[in-house]
Amino acid sequence: MSLPATFADELRRALGREHVITEPEQLRVYECDGLTGHRAVPELVALPDSTEEVQLIVRACNRERVPFVARGAGTGLSGGATPIAGGVVISLARMNRILEIDLASERIVVEPGVANLDVTRAVEGDGFFYAPDPSSQQVCTIGGNVAENSGGAHCLKNGFTVHHVTGLTFVLPDGEVVELGGKALDPDGPDLLGVVVGSEGTLGIATRITLRIVRVPEAVRTLLAAFDTTDAAGAAVSGIVGAGILPAAIEMMDRLTIEAAELAVAPGYPEGAGAVLLVELDGVAAQVEEDAAHVERICVGGGAFEVRTAATELARALLWKGRKSAFAAMGRVATDYYVQDGVVPRTRLPEVLRRIAELSEAHGLRVGNVFHAGDGNLHPLVLYDAERGETEAARVLAEEILDACLEAGGSLTGEHGVGMDKACSMPRMFSERDLAVFERLRRAFDLEGLCNPGKVIPTPRLCGEVPGPYRVHPLERIGVAERL
Amino acid sequence: MPSVSSLEDASSALAAANAEGRTLRIGDDMTTEGLHRLLEHEAGDLTCTVEAGVRLSTLQAALEPYGQRLSLDPPGDPTIGALLAENVSGPLRHRFGAPRDLVLGVTLVLADGTVASSGGKVVKNVAGYDLARLVCGSQGRLALIARASFRLHPTPQAAQTIAIETDDAAGVVGALRSSPLQPSALDVLHPGGVLVLFEGSPRAVAAQIAAARGPVGGVEVGLDAWDASRRRQEESRGRLRFDPGRLGETLADLDEAVVRPAAGVAYTPGDTVSQGHDPAVAALVERIRLAFDPNGVLAA
Repeated sequence: MSLPATFADELRRALGREHVITEPEQLRVYECDGLTGHRAVPELVALPDSTEEVQLIVRACNRERVPFVARGAGTGLSGGATPIAGGVVISLARMNRILEIDLASERIVVEPGVANLDVTRAVEGDGFFYAPDPSSQQVCTIGGNVAENSGGAHCLKNGFTVHHVTGLTFVLPDGEVVELGGKALDPDGPDLLGVVVGSEGTLGIATRITLRIVRVPEAVRTLLAAFDTTDAAGAAVSGIVGAGILPAAIEMMDRLTIEAAELAVAPGYPEGAGAVLLVELDGVAAQVEEDAAHVERICVGGGAFEVRTAATELARALLWKGRKSAFAAMGRVATDYYVQDGVVPRTRLPEVLRRIAELSEAHGLRVGNVFHAGDGNLHPLVLYDAERGETEAARVLAEEILDACLEAGGSLTGEHGVGMDKACSMPRMFSERDLAVFERLRRAFDLEGLCNPGKVIPTPRLCGEVPGPYRVHPLERIGVAERL
Repeated sequence: MPSVSSLEDASSALAAANAEGRTLRIGDDMTTEGLHRLLEHEAGDLTCTVEAGVRLSTLQAALEPYGQRLSLDPPGDPTIGALLAENVSGPLRHRFGAPRDLVLGVTLVLADGTVASSGGKVVKNVAGYDLARLVCGSQGRLALIARASFRLHPTPQAAQTIAIETDDAAGVVGALRSSPLQPSALDVLHPGGVLVLFEGSPRAVAAQIAAARGPVGGVEVGLDAWDASRRRQEESRGRLRFDPGRLGETLADLDEAVVRPAAGVAYTPGDTVSQGHDPAVAALVERIRLAFDPNGVLAA
């Protein structure tokens, strides 16, 4: 695939010379996102500054039949922003303005290149925050969050990106611009916002995003409870949920991740803990106090040998320190690691954790577990040493962990997305019919197949002719005679 | 009125209509009364999966012994299929959202008989396109919704309502929304009334009621006060969407309405003037409809 020379010239005239990149050295910057194992060098990178410029680039790509991939900060972990070799990357980095703050409506209007945390920074002085908090929130962009329907530790109570996007200016794959939603909720007709958010950049490009902002709660209380085993900690999670308490976050770390965190940032977690549970409660003060006391009783009753509580911002930050550094801390105990992202129904956590331990032993590779225990979203960290030839075993182990999640009725991905990474795994969760309907939807948006092709839906070219074994979808496992 | 009672039923009935070039309207020419099973309720996971013909009240009654609920309280007693197809919500929309916010997965039967699932039964899941949300508000024109999974919430221990009579509803709503209080529902019954619902532990509810009555006054009333709101919503013929920050201006232009201020939605007795549908959005919806139902079996 090769672009005509006039293509770059045309874009340079429209965008300005410095905003169109064709130098091989500079193009390499864009060859991958956070999924660094997949790389491809694009032929051209364009950096538009407005909806109109995005539209112009997309129309030019359509005319030349060149595939294009939108990109934010490139922190995605599933390869949603991996370029197509010979294609165009549309970087939204320059579109990083906060356009409007409407406190009375509890909305903020931003461009896609604004960093997640900068949304909160823009409104925190007025007592508001933006709720979804992916762990890369300092750098990841709202446009990327919209594409991936990003979550975060505090989504248990507050919901995911899809619950916080109320409006989008959206450039369709053919260059048409649509206005979806607005500041008011519940637009008429099929929920286009709901299907576009989380579509991993395959249905179009958001250029202007209206978000809900949330009032900072009256009280926040964080508890850290240390247990001997993950089973005991898991039972405490069930106890909390069973008591009708809905915390803002419930996070768990196992022994290996606690040890790594101690080596890296020395959070001073209780010595000898086989599992640490972090529970954060927020809301009106009277309710938070009552729930915090209740959670503490449940943890102690469930065998916690130490419980710490924090009410001030500083004390809370200390309790969170180990959890927030967990991924990076793995570098202290292993040369390489692979972060898996799977989901299981919360009640199946203990058995899946035991299965992961068995798999870890069988492959002779260590697995650290740090996860969003409240919603069953696991992030097993498979540790390996590439120089000792363990890469393939680690990949297989990570795949088998995913199988364990699916067998328990869960999902391939809770927040990292399918992208390139898991496109070929989709047949393990969805039938050919399901995937064919996904494809029909995609074609309704992208008739020419130019918008982030090769992501989300498996293709024979990428995955070989024979898809992986299909496993019964969780919805059809229940009841009778489901698959027609 | 023929009712389907299984996925195979629905699939063959729709495939036949598709092959014969007939049109049909879900709810009229084909009903889902026979799809009446509660398929799964995993209390520990706060999730459930039900067939589309189940009435909302039936589902709530089944969840109640477990101290759980689906946090949706629309007018009437829709089936789960209608609830999603209309994306209809009630006063609890304020805190808990609309059906599109609580649905986790669906099984659909397309007009050509194709049975397809999307989403799942776990709370957190980003695998594949979200057809469960797509069919919310689709009015039965994309596919027959055969079954759905939902996120549930614990039923609060206590619930208490205050009613405020006022000629400055926007001021009352503003005072409540700029306070740290977290009502579960907040409706303006225009003109003249505001209803506020607090839920939680008895002590926390009492604390919130006391904190609310300081600035905005009001009297404690029974939960049946919300029936009036739901009834007026059900009888309304128009629906107006507005920027939530423009509540005062919006109310000034309306004689009568039930208003959900945080959502920016007002239900009005008369037809509301169309708010200028974006033709590009309409064209996109039409392309999706044609992709799902190329022969136009599912009628408006």
